[in-house]
Amino acid sequence: MAVLDQKKSKVSDEIPTASMADIAFLLLIFFLVTTVFPKDKGLGVVLPEEGEEVAVAQGNILHLIVQQNGVVDVRRGESTAIQQMRPGDIESLWRQEVASNPNLIAAVKTHPDAPHRHMIDVLDALQSAGAERISLQILEE
Amino acid sequence: MAIRGGGLSRKSKASSEIPSSSLADIAFLLLIFFMVSTVFRSDKQRPIDWPEAAAAEKIDEKVKNILNIWVEQDGSIWINDQNIPMDEVSQIVGPLYADSDRRLVISIRADQDTPYTFIDAVQKELVSANVVRVVFATELERQMTRVRR
Repeated sequence: MAVLDQKKSKVSDEIPTASMADIAFLLLIFFLVTTVFPKDKGLGVVLPEEGEEVAVAQGNILHLIVQQNGVVDVRRGESTAIQQMRPGDIESLWRQEVASNPNLIAAVKTHPDAPHRHMIDVLDALQSAGAERISLQILEE
Repeated sequence: MAIRGGGLSRKSKASSEIPSSSLADIAFLLLIFFMVSTVFRSDKQRPIDWPEAAAAEKIDEKVKNILNIWVEQDGSIWINDQNIPMDEVSQIVGPLYADSDRRLVISIRADQDTPYTFIDAVQKELVSANVVRVVFATELERQMTRVRR
């Protein structure tokens, strides 16, 4: 029975590598197609051109004065009554106000020492409410 | 000496096919060359704490038309990895804006605790450079952690 010892196995003992390149290309194409580069996000504003200053009737202005601590003083047009608010409440306020006056302009006046994020909070609330006419100013003492 | 077949049936020893076995090697060489030599133009990140906003939208402009202006907490301005004094911002931005065919979008990347006076100064510089489109860069506020006010 010495013949049996010499019989070679028909199963190859190597891993088939012929299709390796195909697999590599499939993976390459998969990642090429699915890769998305992250895009920057932000709140867009359009700055006025130099000298393009328009006089607006006081009745069409909603003054939003951002204080150092983040509290917002809301003043309507010519009235002197001031209503204090948190930035989160401005979204619903704007929806109410703009419903009664579609020409309303938001004048955001920020205290010079107020942190940037408080102004962003107010701008965020206004843009969430769909406001388009926004004026960014610095609060002058 | 007669040549068999008049010499017409003699086969040329040179192969009539273009050798294509090394085509893959050439392709890989080119691929690796371009992978190594490609540089994505981008400025280094400055260490800032991003403000958050829920209404933030993706900037709808090509990456090459976006100019980042970094404003740090102490009011220092960085444009393209260079520290720029505040009153020279418009001189830097103006020519870039003209070169871009007035398509340039300025992304103001300011630390969330930057006093507003610096942001206002940057805006005034941009207005004097006649730049119109500005984006305040933010991180999208995470809905889960958003504070209900």
